[in-house]
Amino acid sequence: MNLAMLKVGEKGKITRIGSLGPLKRRLMDMGVLVGEEIGVKKVAPLGDPIEVTIKNYNLSLRKKEAEGIDVEEVE
Amino acid sequence: MSSQMTDDRVQTEKGAGFQLQTPNSALRTITIAVAGNPNSGKSTLINAIAGTRLQVGNWPGVTVEKKEAMFEYEGTRIKLVDLPGVYSLSPYTQEEIITRDYLVHERPDVIIDVVDATNLERNLYLTVQLLELELPVVMALNIFDEAEKKGHKIDTKAMEETLGVKVVPTTATRKNGLHDLLKAVVNIVDSPSSPYPKKLNYGEDIESATRTVGKQIQSAYPSLAEKYPLRWLSFKLMEQDEHVQRELLISGDLQIEDAVQHLKKAHEEDVESIMADARYAQAAGLTREVLKRPELRKMEITEKIDRLALNRFLGIPLFLAAMWFVFKLTFDVSKPLADWMNAATTGPFKRWAEALVGLVHAPAWMSSLVTDGVIAGVGSVLVFVPVIFAMMFFITFLEGSGYMARAAFVMDRAMHAIGLHGKSFIPMLLGFGCNVPAIYATRTLENPRDKALTALLVPLMSCGARLPVYVVFIGAFFPSHAGMVLWSLYVMGIALAIVMGLIFKRTLFRGEAPMFIMELPPYRMPSFKSLMIHTWEKGKHFLIKAGTYILAVSILVWFLLNLPWGVENKKDSYLGQVGQAAAPMLKPLGFGNWEAASSLMAGVIAKEIVVGTMGEIYVKKSEEGKKEQQPAFTDDLKELGTSFASAVRDSTKNVLSTVAITSLSAEQDEKRAGLKTALQGVFTPLTAYAFITFVLLYMPCVVVAIAMRQEFGTWKWFGIAFAYQTALAWLAAFVIYQGGRLLGIGG
Repeated sequence: MNLAMLKVGEKGKITRIGSLGPLKRRLMDMGVLVGEEIGVKKVAPLGDPIEVTIKNYNLSLRKKEAEGIDVEEVE
Repeated sequence: MSSQMTDDRVQTEKGAGFQLQTPNSALRTITIAVAGNPNSGKSTLINAIAGTRLQVGNWPGVTVEKKEAMFEYEGTRIKLVDLPGVYSLSPYTQEEIITRDYLVHERPDVIIDVVDATNLERNLYLTVQLLELELPVVMALNIFDEAEKKGHKIDTKAMEETLGVKVVPTTATRKNGLHDLLKAVVNIVDSPSSPYPKKLNYGEDIESATRTVGKQIQSAYPSLAEKYPLRWLSFKLMEQDEHVQRELLISGDLQIEDAVQHLKKAHEEDVESIMADARYAQAAGLTREVLKRPELRKMEITEKIDRLALNRFLGIPLFLAAMWFVFKLTFDVSKPLADWMNAATTGPFKRWAEALVGLVHAPAWMSSLVTDGVIAGVGSVLVFVPVIFAMMFFITFLEGSGYMARAAFVMDRAMHAIGLHGKSFIPMLLGFGCNVPAIYATRTLENPRDKALTALLVPLMSCGARLPVYVVFIGAFFPSHAGMVLWSLYVMGIALAIVMGLIFKRTLFRGEAPMFIMELPPYRMPSFKSLMIHTWEKGKHFLIKAGTYILAVSILVWFLLNLPWGVENKKDSYLGQVGQAAAPMLKPLGFGNWEAASSLMAGVIAKEIVVGTMGEIYVKKSEEGKKEQQPAFTDDLKELGTSFASAVRDSTKNVLSTVAITSLSAEQDEKRAGLKTALQGVFTPLTAYAFITFVLLYMPCVVVAIAMRQEFGTWKWFGIAFAYQTALAWLAAFVIYQGGRLLGIGG
């Protein structure tokens, strides 16, 4: 499953980052790395983007981008 | 290189109260570069250290702001250079490239690395990359008070030992730790035994590959190996950093493929990702080692605010309310002061200038040039200085408080729908202050597509320069519905931006939309000093632009209006002639007279000039022959003082009464009444509304054109903006006027 499939309040562990090039590097620069725990905190009022917690800070990204991040759910 | 000019400026300012004693100071100068993440409090720290001594310029070749300051600290001259806020030294944004190039090529004596103590790990990721540059580093462990309050315990000693850098806890908002920070910096330069950044071990795989690549570089490019840190250079080549390859003219003839292949195979990843992982591993390891935080996390203030601010139902209404509040406040606070400035320039200042010109027996045309050209020009600049400052103050507050990122988050879906990025919202919002900085602000958008589309739509955001035009017309025709009419213009601009965005998305900008990855920083109260300095910087930029450019244009317009010299009727002046020629095109819009056409023409150069020109044309016509009684000089002074006091009182009152809706132009200003009365004779409410709609939409001013040219390196985007906006303005005014007539609203 991917990050976009997680619901608000759910957490996952990143297993793969499917994006390429600058997008991937930017995600990694922001701490979105394989093995990292990532939690969905909020969905924007209009349904997109989403707010996630990673490395103890808050990051926002679009669902489309979240779809490129594979996670396995942790409870 | 680029710093030369700034040095000169500092030299001249030295006389004005600087602490440096002698011009040819024998003191040594050290250069400090300040680097750090966005939202790490870097700006606040720099403002707290250097304050008004900061000189703002641009990085060479680009329009990213460059701040520098020169000052003396305990016998050392320090040149402080503020680098753009970055998360990493990857070569993907202009800010990252600037930061990296400066550090690599200029090799400052010390880097101050501003680290947000409440967000240690991600901030340390940049620190790790800074260490690779093998320059002395002092870490400012900033926002330390907040970290302590949260119960975070940071072992700074352990941090110093692991990294080989001096760590100084600071709280820039309260000026805590700044002396220790500067002392540590001076100390590093003074004592050769001071700690030197450690080479962090990225794991044997990477290290051995690095050694192989390093040897290759040494034999193939010995001069580069001497000039740049070899280890860093090796990393960049392994990462296939095109920017470095291009800049250092390293061709592909190095035999590094084997080393890189081995690394790739072992990790099943590209080298960039392997390196990012290794660096983060260092940051994470160090954080684990030095940071103790309480098990139980309290619900933080940011989360509480976000429950409302990002709420599914309340998020957007709150956002709109915040925007409305900002505008209302901006307008009401600045209005009395703007009126006072207007009264001062058209009253006492003008009289004094007339008296002075009279003293030297200057010819009539000279007298007219000074009072109607120069003083009137200065007046038209000054009148809306308060509006611009107030607007900038609130925008800076939104940025500094962290709400701007939420605005982008809340709005992204909507912005994205018209092909924009949530971040496009920020330039758009700035556009309401002035389109020029807004165009420059589009560089926060990494992708050229986002950037170009945003820049094309920015001019539809009604800028501060259009405000004086609205104010005059609203005062003359809609005094009882002032707020509503004004609001409708702003909304119309936004609505049309949406329509145009959709059109552009399907035509000029077809294809995949770029990324949206943005930090939502914790809410913080910006420090007052920082707020004032930023507001002043931005306001000053406008003032300088206005002071020189608009003044020049005002004088030019005076020439156009008064030449050939001796024209009886303004209609026969050059501007009048052009206006007459253009008037028929405006006829279907309800204002097909040469006066309106000429004013619009002059407004192309800067939109607020529409008002000045109308003043020239209409008021001169109607006030002919009227003789004013000349008040004495002392009366003027007294009047200036008392009217200023009452202006300040009124604006304070307006702050308090913002929640209760107050009328924009409750009392009409006497001096402006002349123009208003004249306008009432020529326009009807319907044609007036069509006219201000036209002013809202027609081509961006010349300064915006120059900004677009500078940002994009081509006239292409301005050309497109010019064409579509003029067409749009004509169409909208046409619909309003003809539609209104059909509905029988008169005309």
